[in-house]
Amino acid sequence: MTTKRLSIQRYLPEQSKTPFWQDFDVPFDDSTSILEALNHIKEDMDGSLSYRWSCRMAICGSCGVMVNGEPKLGCKSFLREYPGTIKIEPLAHFPVQKDLIIDMEIFLEHLAAVQPYLINDSEDSTQTHKQTPAQLAKYLKFSDCINCGLCYSACPQFGLNPEFLGPAALTLAHRYNLDSRDQGKAQRMAQLNREEGVWTCTFVGYCSEVCPKSVDPAAAVNQGKVESAKDLLINLFKR
Amino acid sequence: MAKHVGYFPELKRNWWLKNRYFMAYMAREATVLPLVFFIVCLLAGLYSLLLGPGSWQGWLHFMQNPITIAINLLALGASLFHAATFFTLFPRVMPLRVGGRAIPAKWIILGQWFGVLLVMALFAWVFGRGM
Repeated sequence: MTTKRLSIQRYLPEQSKTPFWQDFDVPFDDSTSILEALNHIKEDMDGSLSYRWSCRMAICGSCGVMVNGEPKLGCKSFLREYPGTIKIEPLAHFPVQKDLIIDMEIFLEHLAAVQPYLINDSEDSTQTHKQTPAQLAKYLKFSDCINCGLCYSACPQFGLNPEFLGPAALTLAHRYNLDSRDQGKAQRMAQLNREEGVWTCTFVGYCSEVCPKSVDPAAAVNQGKVESAKDLLINLFKR
Repeated sequence: MAKHVGYFPELKRNWWLKNRYFMAYMAREATVLPLVFFIVCLLAGLYSLLLGPGSWQGWLHFMQNPITIAINLLALGASLFHAATFFTLFPRVMPLRVGGRAIPAKWIILGQWFGVLLVMALFAWVFGRGM
């Protein structure tokens, strides 16, 4: 079996304050994913390597890492796709706790801020909320997000200012605003209208390139700008 | 914001040089620089018109300078490049629907270029008549 060299950025806070690089030669074939290579290293070569993973099939969104400088899901990228040495780093723009494990706290705070769930205070809560296929089609594309955080690592605006709500949170806000069963748009608009809301986005567009579920967060955020502008105009006339 | 443990690598000033998407983005944003020059030229022309014939001749002479022409050609190219990026992004930001059916992005992009051609033809007609 042929091998491929993985150069992994290690960070062991109990040993050193700065990260360092460590090389591993991993056996691989056409079906070996980055995640399987990391599992091989942990099981057979160096048990101290730390990283997150769970489902192995691009559903849980846990195994995001930088592969040759690009945000990728470890389970959805394969060694065969990379000709030379593969550089693995923790996801960019987040604080690193250990090796490939990042602190996602700020991302989770931004998610919570936009209330990404159905808000509906209609009196008869025993009734099901019916929806037509056309109403579903309006937001379906934006509902595939798995909260992996790759779009945050792709977003230079988030890298420059972590207070920016960021692609995934703004996309989910838009997804619920577009949902015919939801009544929470007014609450979410307050977040979208902030400077750290939709207006920090400058449509670099790389978030949509790296999204493993083809959600197109850049489109959602910029549709959010149109909504925010409409919201401003409507509020001007309401006064 | 939660207290961070570990280390937090800062984004360096040259972040945009490390990825071709970021370079393309910066090229798109940089199109404003030659456009600023074009607008300054335009405003200077209007101002020299106010000052009188001597000033106007001076401005005409400046506009015929090969360097001025080169920068203004660059501005034209830059604005067309910016338009191309804008036209491609537009259907994603404002997806249009007619009678419940989504208009394909390709049509919206072509429609915008058709608009550019119309404006150019209008200008050619208006300014071409006097020649």
